Amino acid sequence: MKKVSFRDDVLPLKNRLYRLALRITLNPAEAEDAVQDTLIKVWERREEWERIESIEAYALTICRNISLDMAGKAGRGNVQLNEELSTSNVQCSMFNVQTPDENQEQKERIALVRKLMDTLPEVQRSIMELRDIEGKTYQEIANILRLNESQVKVYLHRARTGIRQQAEKIEKYGL
Amino acid sequence: MDYKYIEQLLERYWACETSLHEEQILRTFFQQEEVPAHLMPYKAVFDVQREKAEVSLGEEFDTRMIDLLSRQGEALPFEETENGVVKALPLHGGAGRRSFFRPFYQAAGLVALILTIGMAAQQSFDGEGKSQQPQYAQTDSMECPAQEFTPLLEQQAAELTREQTDSMSLTR
Repeated sequence: MKKVSFRDDVLPLKNRLYRLALRITLNPAEAEDAVQDTLIKVWERREEWERIESIEAYALTICRNISLDMAGKAGRGNVQLNEELSTSNVQCSMFNVQTPDENQEQKERIALVRKLMDTLPEVQRSIMELRDIEGKTYQEIANILRLNESQVKVYLHRARTGIRQQAEKIEKYGL
Repeated sequence: MDYKYIEQLLERYWACETSLHEEQILRTFFQQEEVPAHLMPYKAVFDVQREKAEVSLGEEFDTRMIDLLSRQGEALPFEETENGVVKALPLHGGAGRRSFFRPFYQAAGLVALILTIGMAAQQSFDGEGKSQQPQYAQTDSMECPAQEFTPLLEQQAAELTREQTDSMSLTR
């Protein structure tokens, strides 16, 4: 990348950075702080911009690291989320027995998929975010997460399979 | 309607064999309200993807960001702008930086004014007075030995303080 401008090339990344940070921290306020810290860091290293191949991948990598730091400090783990999920699972199915409204059913499905996505391990979550929401190629994702392409595919495969199985299970037994 | 194509795409989607374009086709397909019952369980997956893609930060974030960066005192990231899209942004950033130093400018100005008037007053006083030393003792009291204060006449001292208070009130 040749000429990088903060206003035209860096600041417009804010929403992508925010979504990735949100996927990791699962907390809007923390995610916003993470984006702020990321942009400051990117700005402070502006001498390096000309040598960077993709300022977006660069910013996303920084953002992920900052978000991981924040999530780690807050002491959130997947265990806690799993417990939360199992209880809400029960509530969902009970609720749906009482109101077999189709629209309501779809709302519950969406709520469940959201929860499922949040309970995936962080790497799978981040990869799914970058692929299915940001539309990144496997190579780009590998670059951002400092993995190789086949690792990215393996993680994504696990994530998608997990979501699929849960979705089918809920359909058969849950709803 | 035949859903073979979608079913195939979906199978390949789970296996991570779809291209980005094909994944977009799936999202578009599941966007419609009516989806065949056997595909219904998967609709939510793509609905959530579309929903999450819309999550964003507001305009206030930009303003806050520019404020933050300009307060670091370095070159503004927005001075390089050529077209008028963010016309208001450099202005805002500039104002933020000015206001940071403004109190110091005012204080420095006030001190300079007091010094100038004070020195002018002292010079006119020098012309009348006979002994030079006591007056210097007054101006540079920190550097002069204490004994130099003694020759200063009480009347002179009174005159000095009066002039100084005059000059102070002038600056107000």
